[in-house]
Amino acid sequence: MAGMMQEAPMIKITNLEKFYRTEEVETIALNKLSIEIATGEFVAIMGPSGCGKSTLLNILGMLDDPDAGSYVFNDIEVAHFTERKRADLRKHNIGFVFQSFNLIDELTVFENVELPLIYTGVASAERVKRVEEVLDKMQIMHRRNHYPQQLSGGQQQRVAIARAVVNKPKLILADEPTGNLDSSNGNDVMELLTDLNEQGTTIIMVTHSEHDARYSHRIIRLLDGQSVMENIMV
Amino acid sequence: MFRNHLKTAWRNLINKKFYSAINIIGLTIGLAVGILILLWVQDELSFDRFNSKVSQIYKVNASIGSGVSKQVWGGVPAPVAVYALKEVPGIVNAVRVITSYDYSVFKYNDKILKEDYGKLSYVDDSFFKVFDYKLLKGNINIPFPNDQSVIITESTAKRYFGDANPIGKTITGDSKDPFVVSGVLADFPANSSISGNMLFSINQKKKQYNGKGYWKAMDEDWGNYYTSTFLQVRNDASTRAIGDKLTKIHFEHQKGIKPTDGIFQLQPLKDIHLYNPDGSSAGVQIVKVFSIVAILILLIACINYINLSTARAMLRSKEVSVRKIIGAERKHLFMQFIIETLLCFAVALLLAFGLIYAVMPFYNGIAGKQMQFNLFDVKVWQVIALTVITTLIASSIYPALLLSSFKPINALKGKISGTGNATFRKVLVVCQFAFSIGLIVGTIIINRQLNYIQQKQLGYDRSYVFSLQLHGMQDHYEAIKADLLNHPEITGVTTGDGNIVSSGSTTSDTDWDGKDPNMSFLIHPYGVDKDFINMFKIKFTSGNNFTGSKSDTAHWILNETAVRLAGIKNPVGKRFKFHDTNGIIIGVVKDFHFASLKQAIEPAIFNFRPTTWQMFIKTTGKDSPMAIKTVEKLWKQYNATYPFEYKFLDDDYNELYHSEQNTASLFDVFAGIAIFISCLGLFGLATYTAQVKIKEIGIRKVLGASVANITAMLSKDFLVLVFIAILIASPIAWYAMNKWLQNYVYRTELSWWTLAIAGLAAVLIAFITISFQAIKAAIANPVKSLKNE
Repeated sequence: MAGMMQEAPMIKITNLEKFYRTEEVETIALNKLSIEIATGEFVAIMGPSGCGKSTLLNILGMLDDPDAGSYVFNDIEVAHFTERKRADLRKHNIGFVFQSFNLIDELTVFENVELPLIYTGVASAERVKRVEEVLDKMQIMHRRNHYPQQLSGGQQQRVAIARAVVNKPKLILADEPTGNLDSSNGNDVMELLTDLNEQGTTIIMVTHSEHDARYSHRIIRLLDGQSVMENIMV
Repeated sequence: MFRNHLKTAWRNLINKKFYSAINIIGLTIGLAVGILILLWVQDELSFDRFNSKVSQIYKVNASIGSGVSKQVWGGVPAPVAVYALKEVPGIVNAVRVITSYDYSVFKYNDKILKEDYGKLSYVDDSFFKVFDYKLLKGNINIPFPNDQSVIITESTAKRYFGDANPIGKTITGDSKDPFVVSGVLADFPANSSISGNMLFSINQKKKQYNGKGYWKAMDEDWGNYYTSTFLQVRNDASTRAIGDKLTKIHFEHQKGIKPTDGIFQLQPLKDIHLYNPDGSSAGVQIVKVFSIVAILILLIACINYINLSTARAMLRSKEVSVRKIIGAERKHLFMQFIIETLLCFAVALLLAFGLIYAVMPFYNGIAGKQMQFNLFDVKVWQVIALTVITTLIASSIYPALLLSSFKPINALKGKISGTGNATFRKVLVVCQFAFSIGLIVGTIIINRQLNYIQQKQLGYDRSYVFSLQLHGMQDHYEAIKADLLNHPEITGVTTGDGNIVSSGSTTSDTDWDGKDPNMSFLIHPYGVDKDFINMFKIKFTSGNNFTGSKSDTAHWILNETAVRLAGIKNPVGKRFKFHDTNGIIIGVVKDFHFASLKQAIEPAIFNFRPTTWQMFIKTTGKDSPMAIKTVEKLWKQYNATYPFEYKFLDDDYNELYHSEQNTASLFDVFAGIAIFISCLGLFGLATYTAQVKIKEIGIRKVLGASVANITAMLSKDFLVLVFIAILIASPIAWYAMNKWLQNYVYRTELSWWTLAIAGLAAVLIAFITISFQAIKAAIANPVKSLKNE
């Protein structure tokens, strides 16, 4: 672990700030937050509701932009990228896993997983190969022609993970990936993420679950938009 | 990529059956009606343009009189064509078309067939050289080898001769005059201003001038305006110069006429269908109105689509953001939604084609046309392309832009409140209802005007009067009349040479003491027997009726307008010259309407003719079948060779307003469809609103709201929009309909309650539409909706 930290980190955020304003109230979501995450790490982000976990994940995933501070991803400053540039960087580097799976109801398992490849312009034959590969790995090949509504929660999350990894991203962002699952299915999902991490994918996971957090290398605890504690897991 | 888009679009269409159905039904009807109307418009605009020389061909019209008495007449004296060819530079060719009323039946072997009024014409030999009407058999250079030649249309040939070759066969007109078929012409196209069944040589018409009348020969008769004269002019010729030259020639040849007695003007052939000779354009107006209606209906259908897709954008925001997160760019999403719209349109278009095929016969019936919807016709595709591309653009771009512009993070969090585009949707709903209300107002007023026409006191009584041609009975008229009057079912018999419902003829051949030498006017002559005026209950304002005595041949009865325009004070007993007879005015009748109510009443003169070619018989409502039988019996004694035919004046009268009635029927249908499509959209939006507000409804119910409260809450927002639509549409509709009514000299009043009824109807229809969904939402169990959240 220490060795990894000496390379240039995959993610380096410095004094990151994010505010949410309504007409009368300004809420600070992230307050001069600074974090570094190395390539190949598995990091869990924890903290009470409203501490800024999801905001941080959205900024890391380039779905949202910070109001102030710096965000360097693979040596590139992305804090002030346009949406188009962010989207381009995102689709080649980052996969997402959500609590509520967020599969597209109109598409089959196969088609859901294939979608990122379509958007990155992968040729048809290559797509079939890669989708089958990843479905096989997630052990849902037999469900390839089913629609999301026809699957259990655990199966849906496998499909979602398959979709997240099919483009071979360097980073997976998981937002409470087991939140909607029972403990058995939850454990399966965590095993899958661990496997992916062991194969070299960096994983950042937001979770409420101490159990899940134990799968990570490091836990960053947030409170009121600031990092208050880091636990290195052994 | 495309396949993926198409797949998603198709599954979306199938999965969201309710919204897909609303969208597709609305679009199908909108496209079908839009295409149907545009086909109609295209047909109207295509009249006479099939002639390859259309840009060179002009019709000569005559402007007669000045000031209030000015009239532009579509017929001109016969010599105009002759002198145009002889003396006017720039004329390539000329052709005259004169409708013949000289025969009503033709006989071939044992077959006797009736030819309808106005289907026979005398034409010059140049007819086939100037126009593109196709001579299938016969010689274009010598179409009429002799004066007894006749050219018949293909379908007429079929009626008489079946499949046999008609050339050289003889048909006999009114069992006296034989004609030899010298040519067969293709049936006149439906979009031709000139039509008919048979063409005769103009020499036949010339023969009717036997040298004994006032005008010795047809080509010297400058006094009667009855020939439709078409000139083919050189491209570089000035039509104004030609008109002026013709006017000058008229001056040189008819002595004693004034400048106002006939100024000739040239009207392009391509305009004669839509424009009256005086340049007014009822036809163009209808074309414009229908084009606007087509555009409104298409807009309404597009608005439905836009409203439903943007409203549902909120429900689809999750899908959009997921796609964005996993790598979709805006252009991908934009294309996806465009393809969804395309698919929806493709389905709707296919259904619209089916619908158009299905309703075409019915549509042709009410439109009074023979349009064809042929998918192999390039013109049909022009119409389709115009309709589809514009509607597609109108209804795809905005929803696609809106949907593809979501910020994924907001969309995932459900932060797409859509207040911005809710306002936009409201504006669109207001537009939709404003269009619909406008159409309702239009429908009410057009129907009221038609009712007004039906019920207008015309100044004469045409009820239960039928007319028939006398033929062989003409020589026995007095005896037949006496016989008929013995039957109790017949209450009146008279004869007259014109139709009281619509006068076809007019003459400028008049004079009186004190006539302004520079003034001239056209007068409609009616040759009638002594009972005509009384039977039709036309009232006298002064003087007396004809008595039937010999001296009546020099007696005239004028209408009030004739007296007023002539400027004759105390007319009874004054000298009046009509054609070549100097006589005196013995009476003045109150004005009565002998033309469409679009026209002001013009001068009319009654002269005494003890017998004419037609008879009018008055009966009563319940006795009319018996009266017809009585007349038929007599008819057979005198007219064995003619089929018995009669016509009630009420039918003649309705024919005058045929095009108005067609227009009104079409308008009724279109307005109904516009409202239906609007309601469809409103229904969809109401359903959507009820869905979105399901939690609010649940909470309100838990807190004690009644079904009525909830229904009111859900309906209120929409009804406000309908009210705004009323406020916007009313003044515009009022203004537009006022303008339309200006076409009629005699017209119904525009009253405030027309607008009130239209508004009320809109509110009511909208309320019924919304409340269906509102009540459904209101009676749903709140526990269910709250649990769902």
